[in-house]
Amino acid sequence: MPSHPLRVAVVCSSNQNRSMEAHNILSKRGFDVRSFGTGSHVKLPGPAPDKPNVYDFKTSYEQMYNDLVRKDKELYTQNGILHMLDRNKRIKTRPERFQSCKDHFDLVVTCEERVYDQVLEDLSSREQETLQSVHVINVDIQDNHEEATLGAFLICEMCQCIQHTDDMENEIDELLQEFEDKSNRPFLHTVCFY
Amino acid sequence: MSKEQDAAHAVDVTTSEKVVELLNQAALISTEEKLTVLKQVQELIINKDPSLLDNFLDEMIAFQTDKSMEVRKFVIGFIEEACKRDNELLLRLVANLNMLLRDESVNVVKKAILTLTQLYKVTLQWMVRSKVVTEMQEACWNMLTQMKEGVLALLDSENDGVRTHAIKFTESLIISLSPRTSDSDVPKRQEADISLDKIPKDHSYIRYDVLCEEGKSALEQLLMFMVHPAISSINLTTALGSLATLAPNLPPTLAKSQVSSVRKNLKIHLVAVLKHPCSLDYQAQIGTLLLDLGMAQSEITRATPVPREPRKRPR
Repeated sequence: MPSHPLRVAVVCSSNQNRSMEAHNILSKRGFDVRSFGTGSHVKLPGPAPDKPNVYDFKTSYEQMYNDLVRKDKELYTQNGILHMLDRNKRIKTRPERFQSCKDHFDLVVTCEERVYDQVLEDLSSREQETLQSVHVINVDIQDNHEEATLGAFLICEMCQCIQHTDDMENEIDELLQEFEDKSNRPFLHTVCFY
Repeated sequence: MSKEQDAAHAVDVTTSEKVVELLNQAALISTEEKLTVLKQVQELIINKDPSLLDNFLDEMIAFQTDKSMEVRKFVIGFIEEACKRDNELLLRLVANLNMLLRDESVNVVKKAILTLTQLYKVTLQWMVRSKVVTEMQEACWNMLTQMKEGVLALLDSENDGVRTHAIKFTESLIISLSPRTSDSDVPKRQEADISLDKIPKDHSYIRYDVLCEEGKSALEQLLMFMVHPAISSINLTTALGSLATLAPNLPPTLAKSQVSSVRKNLKIHLVAVLKHPCSLDYQAQIGTLLLDLGMAQSEITRATPVPREPRKRPR
């Protein structure tokens, strides 16, 4: 077992639902976890599918919350967005963009293929320095509340198994395949270097 | 003694005393606290007052036999920083790194490989700078060369993570042992690093042609294991050849999702190669590969650079 807790990053598109759900559960289980989005903006559902609420990554969850209360309290209470933002602001102040974070992780878990691609693109465009390895795994999770919860538990179970391996890099491949079979979803997996 | 000198002297004494105190503490405490204390010592004797480095070197290195692998990993990091700060210390510390490279814990071995990756370059540069090479330096270089061969052999390691680290070592080695050209993509941080073209052909000890052969042999070994768009044109040619074999022939033992992960990686690397002006001669082949990997023709066209004017040869 590695003697330090795994440094994990969970990444989705807007750092609101899927990554935050996983962030919440992982930090409760004692992981050294951070969460990110890879999008250029933070998008939340709006009054119609073609009218999302768009914020930049500098906006705090609190500010988004207040903005949506002002716009239509009933709608955003009903669709759970206010509840989600309320949860988020208890975890951290504002969403963070993966591409702007220069900290190093042992494991990056992404929540959809497009996000995985963006993470790989970012990591491979950085100048390699220490050559320290970081494993990137994609677990497809649909962007709704129920799937986010199920996905977060799956990610958490996976991280626990990885944390308990004697030699993570040697065992991770086999472990992920077991998880694939068990959860019946395909995982993408690769290694990048800092 | 002037007042200022006096004050400076007083600071010296306290830093030194502080280090002694911390080292005494470190002998008696738990791993986690020990790491914190040792990091403080490292900061004091490498950054704050490097004149103390020599004094306390043995005490620090003694922790290489600590029962905690985190402490042993720390010692490796310390060796790297110390040697970068004072190249002469390579003479004393390379042997210690060699021992740690054979540690029983794979995590320690991996850390040692990462450090060897850095120190190989540092040592080569230091050797090249020395007009007269001492016997001690020769012994140091010989040991380092053996260690290099040892890590290349680890490309065959049974351990996946060790192999990964060996591959990254090999990659860096090949880059150091290749001549840099005007077309080479050199990351900013590595601009000052040694490369074959900076090695004088008439050096009293370091042999250009020998290093060149070692680099080529490392490339051959690497190609059996991985595909990486390297920076020199020799690397580019050969890597593409092996990419071409690999892309449509992924091992049948891989699971479906593993195949998609590998293909995705190949695509990223191939696009990076394609965008490089050196790819001109291979654009057609790379394009075909990318089509095979499921990339749209329009995307490929967009990633393909426009041919530039051929450079005029100097007369």
